[in-house]
Amino acid sequence: MKFDNIIIGGGLSGLTCGIKLAELGKKCAIVSSGQSAIHFFSGSLDLLGKVNGEEVSNPLESIKTLADNHPYQRVGIDNMTRLADEVPQFLDRAGLKFSGNANQNHFVLTPMGVMKPTWLTIEDFTRFETKDSFPWKKALIINFSGFLDFHTLFIKDGLKKLDVTTQIKNVSMKQFEAIRKNPSEMRSTNIAKVFDNGDALDEFAQKANDLSEGFDVVILPAVFGLLNKQIVSEIKAKILKPLVLLPAVPPSVPGIRSQILLRKRFQALGGTYFLGDNVEEGFFENNRLVAIATNNHGDIKLKADQFILASGSFYSKGIVATRDKVYEPIFGLDVNGETNGSEWKDEKFFNDQPYMHFGVKTDSQFHAMINGEPVENLFVAGSVLGGANALKEGSGAGISLLTSLHVAEQILK
Amino acid sequence: MNKNNSKEYDVIIIGGGVTGAGTARDCAMRGLSVLLVERHDFATGATGRNHGLLHSGARYAVTDPESASECIKENMTLRRIANHCVEENNGLFVTLPEDDLAFQSQFVDACKTAGIGTEILDPDFARRLEPSVNPNLKGAVKVPDGSVDPFRLTMSNMLDAKIHGAELLTQHEVTDVICEQNRAIGVELFNHAKNEKVKYYAKIIVNAGGIWGHHIASLAGININMFPAKGSLLIFGHRVNKMVLNRCRKPANADILVPGDTICLIGTTSERVPYDQIDNMFVSQADVDVLIREGVKLSPSLATTRILRAYAGVRPLVAADNDPTGRNISRGIVLLDHQERDGLSGFITITGGKLMTYRLMAEEATNLVCKKLAVDKQCETAEKALPGSEKSDLSLDNATDKIYSGMSIAQKSAKDRHGTLAKNIAVGDSNDDSLVCECEGVSIGEVKYAIKELHVNNLIDLRRRTRVGMGTCQGELCACRAAGLLCESLEEPGEAKDDLANFLQERWKGMSPIAWGDTINEVQFTSWIYEGIYGLKPDNN
Ligand SMILES: Cc1cc2nc3c(=O)[nH]c(=O)nc-3n(C[C@H](O)[C@H](O)[C@H](O)COP(=O)(O)OP(=O)(O)OC[C@H]3O[C@@H](n4cnc5c(N)ncnc54)[C@H](O)[C@@H]3O)c2cc1C
Ligand SMILES: Cc1cc2nc3c(=O)[nH]c(=O)nc-3n(C[C@H](O)[C@H](O)[C@H](O)COP(=O)(O)OP(=O)(O)OC[C@H]3O[C@@H](n4cnc5c(N)ncnc54)[C@H](O)[C@@H]3O)c2cc1C
Repeated sequence: MKFDNIIIGGGLSGLTCGIKLAELGKKCAIVSSGQSAIHFFSGSLDLLGKVNGEEVSNPLESIKTLADNHPYQRVGIDNMTRLADEVPQFLDRAGLKFSGNANQNHFVLTPMGVMKPTWLTIEDFTRFETKDSFPWKKALIINFSGFLDFHTLFIKDGLKKLDVTTQIKNVSMKQFEAIRKNPSEMRSTNIAKVFDNGDALDEFAQKANDLSEGFDVVILPAVFGLLNKQIVSEIKAKILKPLVLLPAVPPSVPGIRSQILLRKRFQALGGTYFLGDNVEEGFFENNRLVAIATNNHGDIKLKADQFILASGSFYSKGIVATRDKVYEPIFGLDVNGETNGSEWKDEKFFNDQPYMHFGVKTDSQFHAMINGEPVENLFVAGSVLGGANALKEGSGAGISLLTSLHVAEQILK
Repeated sequence: MNKNNSKEYDVIIIGGGVTGAGTARDCAMRGLSVLLVERHDFATGATGRNHGLLHSGARYAVTDPESASECIKENMTLRRIANHCVEENNGLFVTLPEDDLAFQSQFVDACKTAGIGTEILDPDFARRLEPSVNPNLKGAVKVPDGSVDPFRLTMSNMLDAKIHGAELLTQHEVTDVICEQNRAIGVELFNHAKNEKVKYYAKIIVNAGGIWGHHIASLAGININMFPAKGSLLIFGHRVNKMVLNRCRKPANADILVPGDTICLIGTTSERVPYDQIDNMFVSQADVDVLIREGVKLSPSLATTRILRAYAGVRPLVAADNDPTGRNISRGIVLLDHQERDGLSGFITITGGKLMTYRLMAEEATNLVCKKLAVDKQCETAEKALPGSEKSDLSLDNATDKIYSGMSIAQKSAKDRHGTLAKNIAVGDSNDDSLVCECEGVSIGEVKYAIKELHVNNLIDLRRRTRVGMGTCQGELCACRAAGLLCESLEEPGEAKDDLANFLQERWKGMSPIAWGDTINEVQFTSWIYEGIYGLKPDNN
């Protein structure tokens, strides 16, 4: 089987590469073995939230201060500025409405009740322009009886620090009785499925509206619109008071929806998506990757002119650690992080962990390398790249989106 | 100072490990008024950091016959009185190619002398009996080893002590032993929950502080020569072996593989550590290497089995009084009457021994207390079953049968964890039945029961009582659910967030020595969820 481009990994990076290339007429395939980080997505795409522990207000400006081997430096500041500007429309074409500004972080309220800086936020959630004020004074937090994955007291505690008085109310819905009977079913995706069908929505909105008498704002868990995107705007219209949705314990309803919409966009552009297939090995000739073998395709090799590795970090098994080494499991690419196991980690869980910086090494054009030699037609994008602790920096989605768009442009050149 | 404590107890027991728990139970059953004080939580010392082997005594048969016969006696007793804490797996002592088969007959003879039943097995038969054993074994001897759950065992002793009127205080650290004219009359405590000092008085003070007993004794001006011996262990993510596997040779490092519940444990290393390091138990890379290397010899499939956690504990070893060099270490039970030994009345120390000889230790200590108080009452702890193990109690099955035809996973798990006491866990309402921890089948009802009845103060305590966050997901999402519940019943939200951060730190401590493979993948995921999405920081709250 032959494609123009094959992308390994169907997370945010792989889909971004695939869509961008397909938009410009390339025949692409994505091979993806499983769940990706978007399933757990907070609802906000981070570009750069912190540098050396200090909060950043203008991400594009602060990128200049990052280390030379940071993926953003390899993309280059001009490209970063241009590509960051493209992202909202790029996502919009997939049916995903995000807003924000790469020159000025805004804030979102986390489920622990703290304000966190970010770049782009999906329409479900509320953007706050400052971290120390909340536009409303009296908040009503509503949870569903028996739903353990929304921690109302943590939110209340956070809001108290912002001088907001809150009350917490639980609502019982007969439509949830069936899922409540099973001890492990009362989770956000199952609640969202009930609302997706539509019939519980009016009744719930009615109850919420009755309870919200005398409050300025209603806060609910983000359990709306899993497959039926309309439900988000419907609940916003039906709740009479301003509505703030907050993420529940993952998996994330807006995250799963985003993943589905991006995949549909890719497929609508003619892309081929091999779901649940694992790339096992590559075949090289003269510094070029000519084909890959996958689990489901057996002897049939997949060929392409260019390949992109977007297989994620440790949690997606894009890189693997054993007792004494860190490696890239498909091709054995060069990685940074091949150090002694005891130096991978800091004994304090919340410190900057060395292993978080580990990933695949590339040259300045994001070519993968084997024994220091770049592979001409194998590019690397997203969180499989080393050189940054995206968690500490708040740069997760930014690295995935922008390195992917940049790599796609390299291929299209 | 809280002055409201003028009540004088018969006995104050210092230390909430298994020895303290057993002594509290025994004293309370003999009608004494008892106060037990523990600085952190129950089973946070050696009791919560050991191998959980219900020794048959075979391990000590050749080198320490006295310990061996204590073990076999207590082994049989615990099978009776603590049935819900014990797994009767039996054990094999295997001779590997590098071991001397001649040791086997010496071993079997010594077991016989100690009263430990043995059966020499043909290697082929042993392989069939225990398929995980090293297939190259030269010989095998079957012995009545077993596994014991130290948390459960400690908690049921605590519960029974309470049922018999004992008072129990966690988060109360002894900061001084109050003495008056060569007599210990009470203790000064620091209450960590309230940040205040309190004093309690008693006729007799029992020091059951394990290795910390050295320090506690020094507060009373007494010197006990203790030698901390650190031992490290690894927990594997599934149960490789059905029977306990031991090496048939003189005791050495990493030569026991103990199965328990759904996991198995390889241990231990043994290393003298300075006394000032006993609260700083880390597992080094070298420890991990030895444990894996030796473990794989016993059971080759360990090489490919996921390691869940590494941890270390300190054995409370005591040097014989007449040996200041400390070479003559006793591994047996040490009961010190400080009136006779040091001229301080009202103060005794019970230490040394083993997890599984705790009852005998408690009996000896209580006999001494009773003698001093001139109380003439027989010990009954070897006959009366612990709460949760009562044979005649079928009410759990009956009660649940009324609700369900079969028990739910959560109920089965709860019954395994709490024995017949599981009947006190609310069931049957969709709220109580909801699962907090899916891997370990912990329901809301069980969490509420633990908070209400089992002295739970934080998430880490809750994990010790219920196994929340002990499974393969390593506390990712269930920790947050449990924190939400704790927040509803006993913690301020700010505290609950700190608690969650501490919980994650505590888990990381056990995972970082073995952070590779799936473990590092999951840790990274956990970090993204809690720090990335939730914005949890240790100092944010
Ligand atoms: C739990 C979690 C939540 C996060 N939330 C946010 C957030 O809210 N905001 C934010 O900005 N950042 C977030 N991040 C950071 C995140 O890493 C990036 O935002 C981004 O989503 C990563 O995308 P990716 O495509 O590089 O990797 P991934 O999403 O990890 O995708 C990699 C994909 O490759 C597949 N794969 C791996 N190996 C193979 C193989 N051999 N064959 C075939 N397929 C393979 C995997 O199955 C997976 O689907 C989060 C990260 C995690 C782990
Ligand atoms: C690695 C290892 C493996 C082992 N394996 C086994 C085995 O397989 N089988 C077996 O039978 N035995 C085993 N043991 C031995 C067994 O764990 C111990 O003998 C037993 O747990 C000791 O219990 P304890 O209650 O005396 O001491 P501990 O459990 O240490 O209890 C002492 C308590 O006192 C508290 N304390 C300390 N200072 C103060 C203070 N100032 N105020 C209030 N409280 C205080 C501590 O917090 C602690 O909870 C093992 C030990 C180790 C270290």
